[in-house]
Parts: sequence; C-alpha cells; structure tokens
Amino acid sequence: MKPSVKDALIAKLTALGDDELILAHRNSEWVGHGPILEEDIALANIVQDELGHATLWYGLRKELDGSDPDQLAFFRDANEYRCCELVELPKGDWAFTMLRQYLFDLYEALWLEAAQHSAYKPLAEAAQKIIREERFHLQHTRAWVERLGLGTEESNRRLQQALNFQWGYAQQLFVPIPGEELLVAEGIVPELGPIRERWLELVTRHLQNADLKLPINPGYQPTSRAYHTEHLWSILAEMQSTARWEPEAKVW
Amino acid sequence: MDTQWPRWEVFKQDAPGKPHQAVGSVHAADPEHALLTARNVFARRPQAVSMWVVRAEEVFSWTKEEIAQDPALRGESRPALGSRPTTYLVFRKTSHKRSMTFVDHVGEVEAYSPQGALREALARFSDAEGLVWWVVPAEKVYKSDPSQETVESWFDPAKEKTYKQQQYYATVSASRPKRRKEDEAFGEGCAHC
Repeated sequence: MKPSVKDALIAKLTALGDDELILAHRNSEWVGHGPILEEDIALANIVQDELGHATLWYGLRKELDGSDPDQLAFFRDANEYRCCELVELPKGDWAFTMLRQYLFDLYEALWLEAAQHSAYKPLAEAAQKIIREERFHLQHTRAWVERLGLGTEESNRRLQQALNFQWGYAQQLFVPIPGEELLVAEGIVPELGPIRERWLELVTRHLQNADLKLPINPGYQPTSRAYHTEHLWSILAEMQSTARWEPEAKVW
Repeated sequence: MDTQWPRWEVFKQDAPGKPHQAVGSVHAADPEHALLTARNVFARRPQAVSMWVVRAEEVFSWTKEEIAQDPALRGESRPALGSRPTTYLVFRKTSHKRSMTFVDHVGEVEAYSPQGALREALARFSDAEGLVWWVVPAEKVYKSDPSQETVESWFDPAKEKTYKQQQYYATVSASRPKRRKEDEAFGEGCAHC
C-alpha cells in the first residue's frame, strides 16, 4: 500500500470509529432514563453494538499503525477526534435521539452495503459483519420515526423540530475526508455521492410518509471533521475522566 | 388515564426443531413494535432463531387445579350451529424445575372456543402431565420474519457477542487491604459489583 493511501485509510478508519464511539456514548446517556424499560434496554443494546463497531474500526487502524484503541478512545483530546458534529449534539428528547439514530443507521447501512465489496479485505470483512446488525437497528429506528411522525400532534411537532435542527448536520456524513479520493480510486471505500443520493431518496420517502416536511433551508452544514461543537469537549471530559484518573481501573 | 402500552407475551425458539417457549413479556404499541422490542429484550444475548408475540389478553390460561375443579372443561365440546372452528396454538408447562422459560409450544388444535381448544389439547397432548395450559388463537400471534436475512440480522450476531455475557466482566479484585471492621461489613472487594 502506498504511504499516501495508507495515511488516508488510517484517517478514514479513525473517522468511522469516532462517529460510532461518540454516538454510542451520547445514546448511553439514556440508560436508566428511557421512556419505558423495554426501550431503555433496546437503546443500550444498540449502543453496545455501535461500540463494537468502533472497536472493529479502531482494530483495523491498529493493524496499519499499531495504535491502541483504548488510547485513542480515552486519551485523545477533542481536537484530535474526527467524528462528525451530528453525533456530538446533546441527546435532546426521545424524538431527537431516535431521528438522529435513524438518519445515521440508514447512512451506515448503505455505506456498509457498498463497503462489503472493498478491495481492502479486512475492511470488506468488517463491513459484512457489521451490516447484519445495522439492518436490525435501522428497522427499529425506522419504526420509531414512523410512529412519532404519525402519532400525536405533540410527537409530530417534536420530531419535526428535531428534523429541522439535524438536517444540515446530517449532510456532513457525506462530506469526504481529505485524501478520501485516493481510497475511492483504489476501490478501498465506496464513493459517498451515490450513497447520499440513495440515502436522500429513502429518507425523503420515509419522512414524508410519516407526515414530516423536509426543511427547505438546510441550515448549518458542517464540512471539516477537524472542527467540533463545544459539546464534544464536555462529552469527552465525562467519558475519559475515569480512564485518565486511573488508567488500569484498579482503585475503587 | 392509563398511559401504559399493552402487554405482549413473548415466545422464543432457540434452534430449528425446538419448541417456542414463553420467556416473558414486553410492553409495546403494536405488533411490529412488540417484535422489535422482544428481540432486544430477550435475544440480545442468548441464541434464538425465531420469535412470536401475542397480546397478553389473547392468552387463555388454566392451571391443572383449575381444570380439575371445572367439570365443563372435561366434557364434550358442542359447537353452536353454523359456527366454524378456528386454529389455536397450544402451550404447556410440564415441570416444576426452576427455569428461565414458562410454557412450551406443543402444537395446534381446531376448536370452536378457547375452552373447546383446551379440551382438545388435553386429549391430544397426553404424553406428559400439563401443570399449566395456554391456548392462543393462531390469528392473534405475530411471528418474526423467517427469511435468512432477518435471521442473520436479528439473531445471528448475538452468538459472537461474548462481551454481552456477565461472566465476561468477572474481574480480579485489586482492592486495598481491609483496615477497619466497618469496611468488612460492606463486603469491600466484591469481584462482581
């Protein structure tokens, strides 16, 4: 592998892992606070799966540069993270959390479907493994979007508010990272353009069927993954504090 | 106002050829939601290949003692003129042994009423004594999609997820030596907390 391609792949794997890790940690804030016990368990289950995906992506990076996944997760500062801003946003209400998870799950499922054919075998194998449970996540969050959209006046209003707020942020999922074109040229990762088209088509249909309106003005659309919302600093402070205080977790 | 969602009984099948077993219940707004929730609650760790859900109020249940006290349940069934039989699923509990499951699916019967279905079941499934019997109208039972893609996406991933088992988190205690009597009373150094 050419050094420039390898560097780009390391950066892409970091971005993939960071999205999963931060979204998982954000959603873990619902544990013990879900609207009903069953959904509390369900979301915790999704969170564990997303953490598992992060572990896989960081594991692939480790094969390339020897970096330790735990070090990446717990000892990296916010400005070294490469997650998108969508996953950093505070959890909001149930509608906000379910909509974000739906928009992300659909992007992830489509990306993985294409990435199963990656020319880089370890990535193809990881995608084949992850896509199975991602399809289940998507069924769950798709069902919630439909029920909140078609539920009561209040549930529809809350979901519409979440959509108006998140729509611009969600577009960042389809912004290539610097050097991504090298990976696309080598057939290592899929091109984001066609995935975005398919995503847009499916999201539009589902949201409209759920009685929601796509925002005419998309609002703020982040582009570079080198910049973050202020929320990333606080979530990392909370997530990393124990590891930074006692790395071996032996004192209690 | 009661804002609680309806309760659904959940049946899980561990492997092809094994019976669906009652594993517990979930609250959910509708059949699809009940299946999704049941999968998360009851199949996130152990193995499964299929799940059924049914509204708890659609389950007709009798204990051995109730059947013994009600002669009407042991007589002949006499259908009303012009009525047509429907299919009922029959579930039975045969053991007092401590278990994570309750009744097992034993088969189907055709009957004109739940009571008729029980009478039919008592006659048909006599290989073991039933301690508890459930009969459920077949049309009220919602089943997970049997397609390969759904089995792979709903149930297969759990098999590899050893980190979801509690024994995965067994730790070696590195707690400091006990200094005071009061510390001992609180069981300092519990390896599984």
